[in-house]
Amino acid sequence: MIINKSFFAKLIKPLPWGGVGVGLFLYACSSIDCPVQNTVATYYSVRDASGEATLNDTLWVLTRRCDGSDTLLLNRFTGQSAFSLPVSYSHPEDTLLFVVADTAGIWTLDTLWLKKDDIPHFESVDCSAHFFHRLTDVRCTHNGIDSVSIVNPTVNYDPNTTHLYIYFRSEK
Amino acid sequence: MIIQYMKKCDIRKRRLRTIVIMLITYHLSLLTSSAQGFLKWEPDTVPFFRGVAVSFDVAGVLQRKLSDYGQYEAAMRINLHDQYFPTLELGYGEAVHENDEVTGITYRTKAPYMRLGVDVNVMKRKHTGNRIFAGLRYGFTSYKVDMDRMPFPDPVWQWETSFGVKDEKCNQHWAEVLLGIDAKVLGPLHLGWSVRYRRRLAHNDGRPGKAWYVPGYGIQESTRLGYTFNATIDL
Repeated sequence: MIINKSFFAKLIKPLPWGGVGVGLFLYACSSIDCPVQNTVATYYSVRDASGEATLNDTLWVLTRRCDGSDTLLLNRFTGQSAFSLPVSYSHPEDTLLFVVADTAGIWTLDTLWLKKDDIPHFESVDCSAHFFHRLTDVRCTHNGIDSVSIVNPTVNYDPNTTHLYIYFRSEK
Repeated sequence: MIIQYMKKCDIRKRRLRTIVIMLITYHLSLLTSSAQGFLKWEPDTVPFFRGVAVSFDVAGVLQRKLSDYGQYEAAMRINLHDQYFPTLELGYGEAVHENDEVTGITYRTKAPYMRLGVDVNVMKRKHTGNRIFAGLRYGFTSYKVDMDRMPFPDPVWQWETSFGVKDEKCNQHWAEVLLGIDAKVLGPLHLGWSVRYRRRLAHNDGRPGKAWYVPGYGIQESTRLGYTFNATIDL
């Protein structure tokens, strides 16, 4: 074997073994990069004929769990123009009960059906499983609600997107 | 606690980046001071074609044995005047992460990949058998992913929910810049290593949004640095 006396020849010989240490160091740490904003919800905007409106009445939204018990999704919502509601992970259609008490003390009850496609969303094995959704249809009864429409069907982590416009009958 | 762990890892990542940059700067300073022959043809009687070498990446195998993912990789490179080394790297990457203890997610993939590129020996004395490389690579893989989770209750409605995709088709193109060394150890046997900085050029991660382990590229978004430890034999 020819032994080269140059500076590089002396330097380079032990470097492969140093590389083992560098490699171990490189693999020693990995980070977990799960998104901080990881809530998937539908965002509703309260509207009237002039555009965005404030709901002066009081709104409750409920749904029924698989065991038949009720659960409250939105409690005493009033004086604001937007609210968010959760979406079921993998049920093809969510059924929501909208209870509105107007300023005169009259109560109305509406049922809203929201159809959707569910898309499993994966970030990393270190991040919990979520579902994104694509809204396909919405319909409702019309006691207190005038109409509901889908304006953006894609439901994901983005909290700044309005998905549905909702018009209440009691809004003047 | 998780946030503290993530912060610690961020600090470690920054330190690691600093060390790698220092290492590269150190090598480059050595090269600028003494490697006058960088990219310059060394006129001598050594023939243009100097043979073919094959190598095997030991780091990827160790990584696979010690963790849930890794790759088996071999490379063939042509030696042109001890200066330019067109290189083809072929490998088989796999990840089997079963039922994560925190999230319960299982991720499986296995697929071949390839990288094509060239290394340049930047040492002044190019014919000693010892080399310092700077190189570029283009990488590509087409792979399928299975990911699933054991059924779990919807947090609001409480229905049992299953989560998963099977045989999701994905692909990725990427580029690498590398700095490495290669030392003649005994006869035709060389040992060496390379540190690689990787960037994705184009990718399709399928419907679920993101892929975790990509064969040949590694874990997405964990680090852009890669590493190989090669045993090379001149044929």
